[in-house]
Amino acid sequence: MKKHTVHLVLLCCLTCTFWALPAASQDLKSASWDAIVQAAKGQTVDWYMWGGMPAINTYVNGYVAEHLKKEYDITLRQVPVKDIAEIVSKLVVEKQAGKHENGNVDLMWINGENFRTCKRHNLLFGPFADKLPNQQYVDWSKPSVYNDFGTPVEGMESPWGSAQVVMIYDTARTPTPPHTMDQFVEWITHNPGRFTYPAPPDFTGSVFVRHLFYHNSADTSLWQGDYSQAQLKQTAQATFEQLKALKPYLWRKGSTYPDSPVRLNTLFADGEIDFSFSYHQAEASRNILDGLFPPTVRSFVFEEGTIANTHFLAIPFNAADKAAAMVAANFLLSAEAQLEKAKPDVWGDFPAIDIARLPAEQQKLFDQLQRGPATLTNQELQTHQLPEPPSEILIQLEKGWEQQVLKGR
Amino acid sequence: MLAASNGAGAGKAESPGYLLMLLTPALLVIMILFGGGLLLGLLQALGYQFSGQDVTFTLVHFSNVVNDPDLMSSLGLTGYIATTSTLAAVLVSIPLALLLNRLAQESKMINFILQIPLTVPHLVTAIAILLLLAPSGLISRCLLQLGFISSAHDFPLLIHDQYGVGLLLTYIWKEIPFITFMLLAVLKNTGTELHEVGKTLGASKTQRFLHITLPLIAPSVGAAALIVFAFTFGAFEVPYLLGETYPMALPVWAYKNYADVDLFARPEGIAIGLLIALIVIAAIFLAQGLAQLMNRNGAPR
Repeated sequence: MKKHTVHLVLLCCLTCTFWALPAASQDLKSASWDAIVQAAKGQTVDWYMWGGMPAINTYVNGYVAEHLKKEYDITLRQVPVKDIAEIVSKLVVEKQAGKHENGNVDLMWINGENFRTCKRHNLLFGPFADKLPNQQYVDWSKPSVYNDFGTPVEGMESPWGSAQVVMIYDTARTPTPPHTMDQFVEWITHNPGRFTYPAPPDFTGSVFVRHLFYHNSADTSLWQGDYSQAQLKQTAQATFEQLKALKPYLWRKGSTYPDSPVRLNTLFADGEIDFSFSYHQAEASRNILDGLFPPTVRSFVFEEGTIANTHFLAIPFNAADKAAAMVAANFLLSAEAQLEKAKPDVWGDFPAIDIARLPAEQQKLFDQLQRGPATLTNQELQTHQLPEPPSEILIQLEKGWEQQVLKGR
Repeated sequence: MLAASNGAGAGKAESPGYLLMLLTPALLVIMILFGGGLLLGLLQALGYQFSGQDVTFTLVHFSNVVNDPDLMSSLGLTGYIATTSTLAAVLVSIPLALLLNRLAQESKMINFILQIPLTVPHLVTAIAILLLLAPSGLISRCLLQLGFISSAHDFPLLIHDQYGVGLLLTYIWKEIPFITFMLLAVLKNTGTELHEVGKTLGASKTQRFLHITLPLIAPSVGAAALIVFAFTFGAFEVPYLLGETYPMALPVWAYKNYADVDLFARPEGIAIGLLIALIVIAAIFLAQGLAQLMNRNGAPR
């Protein structure tokens, strides 16, 4: 008899929780920030993220976890995954199976194609980004922030960091590097065999092809809005023609390509080629510190800009601890957390916030960061950013490159 | 074979049921892990969707692969790599084994040296070859320092090249000790009696090799060559590291499709993987058939 009562009570409690939850998630959208912080107390955030870099894991499990516990009484549990796409497909299945509550995933680190999939299938909770107080430091007018690979963010994810392409050269070998893509293409034809790029779909090689695609576009902002398939086809074709024309001037006459940015850097360090490039702003400095590059190496961005993207945090539709996830996302966007993350010996990831919007003394802290000898200033980088085109274009360029440039069909 | 089963099985009832029971644990592991994986792969290659409501199968992924003009170039390249490296390794291994057979009886050192390459993973060998033979590699730099070549561009292309020189060298370096080891084991157990008989009957050195040694080691050579061929045909890491960007070896092509951003390319990657398995299995059956044919035609046994 007693046992039955216990069961009944338990059942009641469970039902109440399930009833209460949908209401709570509705409330979060209208609740005040203080109420959200209150609701987050004692919750555990399960943060699913790519866990392939020890520096990032240390930052997350050390600095971030400690501060969340101390300041907000939130427990952070990092769940490292190899590819966040696995989690996205898991969410698709959960959505189909009708699991709308109590999901395992509270916070995800995503961008690009994965975000597009999430948004298209309504897998995200939100919009929540505009609720976060630290949002005031984000420059939402920048196309590389308000669009995530061409998909409008619309508050469905909160920025965490940024990456930008930089060109890398050795001042001892190339005292005056080209300043624009136009000059760079000219340089390649005048210096046969001294440049190459990793074969797409490698991420770094693929972004070089996108730079040439932009070079062949009359107006790069066209790709952020409504473009026609005919326009895309025409510009893509012009890009492939140019790449084919450049092929004989590449390293080994374009008969083979390096398979990764690591190989590209090795070729550059060995003096086989004169330029390298990276989707990480501080790559050159890091390689100088590691002794891979000579100290005369520097980096630059083209006058018309280089491609940059923002990486984001999103909350799944069925997250169990949405309030705590929001508080965590807000903390990660704070000047302190962004500063810590930007330290070269911590991670060296570039801030998602606009430094100019911070109070003067915090700006000074960012300015005082050890930048490394070959890294450009935040100012120089942020004023030369081009947004990523939609992932549809990215895929078309990679496929076309393989067919036309690699296989010559 | 006959003698062994007579000796070991003395006094014990070896019914098929008893054998099956003994083999069950090992078989279960193979069936579930290997067979299960193969089955899941086949389902995916046939376009079966786990999350879908109704189950549909399609042969479109297989037909995509078969009709892709890359299939022939990839198949050709993979076949070329596997055949050339196997043949080269066999041709070096036979005389090496005969030579070592004489030496190995006196020195344990040789056995030890021979074992070193066996313990080195293919990946490490490939990287070592890369560091040695690349245009900016160790050998090229030495030649440059000594003044034999004037720049790295004068060094011949041995890595990422059309003929797969670096790739073949990696496999040959790895497989020679393997085949030699297998042959040494056979040679050690044959003794010298047959050779002495041959000598007494006036057979020349060549005749003794052709009619005594070769038939003795032929089954082992065949088995070792088959293992090497099957391995090199399906191996991914060496052609991935040392091969040209295009054409790609079959396993590299399968991986490229499987890792594509376009999730619909995945079933094609699995279809290529299954194709590789099919070709290797066919090669094994072919070799078995050939061996039986040779036996029936009165090869000296």
